[in-house]
Amino acid sequence: MSSHDLSNLGAGFTHEAFGSQAVFRVALEALSHPGRCITVRHDAEVPQTGHPASAALLLALLDSDSTLWLSPSLANSDAAAWLRFHTGCQLVTHADQAMFAWVAAGDAMPALASFSQGSDNAPDQSATCVLDLPLLDAKAGSESGAAQWALRGPGIQDVNHLSVDGLALNFLAQWTANHASFPRGVDLFLASAQQLVGLPRTTSIQLSGGL
Amino acid sequence: MFHAFDNHDPAPTMVRADWMALLSQAPLDLLESAVGAHWPAKPHWLRAPETGLMMVQGRAGSTGERFNLGEVTVSRCALRLPGAQANNAVVGVAYALGRSHRQVGLAAVADALLQDSAQQDLLEQTLLSPVRQHLALLRSQREQRAQSTKVEFFTVARESSSMDDEGEAS
Repeated sequence: MSSHDLSNLGAGFTHEAFGSQAVFRVALEALSHPGRCITVRHDAEVPQTGHPASAALLLALLDSDSTLWLSPSLANSDAAAWLRFHTGCQLVTHADQAMFAWVAAGDAMPALASFSQGSDNAPDQSATCVLDLPLLDAKAGSESGAAQWALRGPGIQDVNHLSVDGLALNFLAQWTANHASFPRGVDLFLASAQQLVGLPRTTSIQLSGGL
Repeated sequence: MFHAFDNHDPAPTMVRADWMALLSQAPLDLLESAVGAHWPAKPHWLRAPETGLMMVQGRAGSTGERFNLGEVTVSRCALRLPGAQANNAVVGVAYALGRSHRQVGLAAVADALLQDSAQQDLLEQTLLSPVRQHLALLRSQREQRAQSTKVEFFTVARESSSMDDEGEAS
């Protein structure tokens, strides 16, 4: 992680305030409609490693008071230097110290319970995780190998369908435990290359009957 | 650690930190005349010029415990200049006291140019040594101003009956 070498670094948003407000709006929309795939439009020169959508999201959310944990392939990449330079965030080596976490596609995700869970008095202190996934699809169509989810909870009229690929096998069990520990628990953003899906801790996930 | 960079003797090998320290104190008119022509038509900002506050810390007598002296207004920016090779662009970074975005932008351009060893000699003559002279001038003016308020204390010999007192006073 050579944070002093700026020669390969990309620029941030052209207009810092407007750019981060637009992405923040996307994050709000994603969390208020869990399971909806929302395209992130931004003009930041995102790093090579990691998905552009998650890079733009973190660029908008982080500041010098935030702590960020990066999965191994991101921690040694230009993404770490890029976020450090533009947001001034602090990188931490232990997942439980982080307010934000970013896990690259292909990296093993730490157990959800290992992130900061917040407390009953301050549930807002829990971690927010951004998870890069190769595939996200809001339709219930059956992709080969992709898990079909049925989402229920606040922000969803009846049921939302989502197919995701590349998650750990026991992810649903972890999520059920995370959902059950409400008001504590982590919030999740799933990111494909250009799209975000919000999964707040209030959403319950079941495998849909199609499989 | 006390680091005096304004009474700098022109060492043969200047490292980047040396010229960045000089550029942060360079006045706008010197920067304008030396690197104004290199100002890119459409600067590629990594970090557009922005002004903020920084807490300055000091140590009494430069040895005591650190304490917060106060906040200063600082502008900073980082930009990329197209380098000799297309894939190897140079990044210039500058911090300066005050709110002049033009000044800090030009200082960043100068920092980027100085990283090219072909430009270093020219810029040393047109920019860095004038800045050093300017800072030396400011320093000597400040010293003279301080000198004019200097008070000399004299011990006036007073008449005394005792002989050994007289010996001490004279």
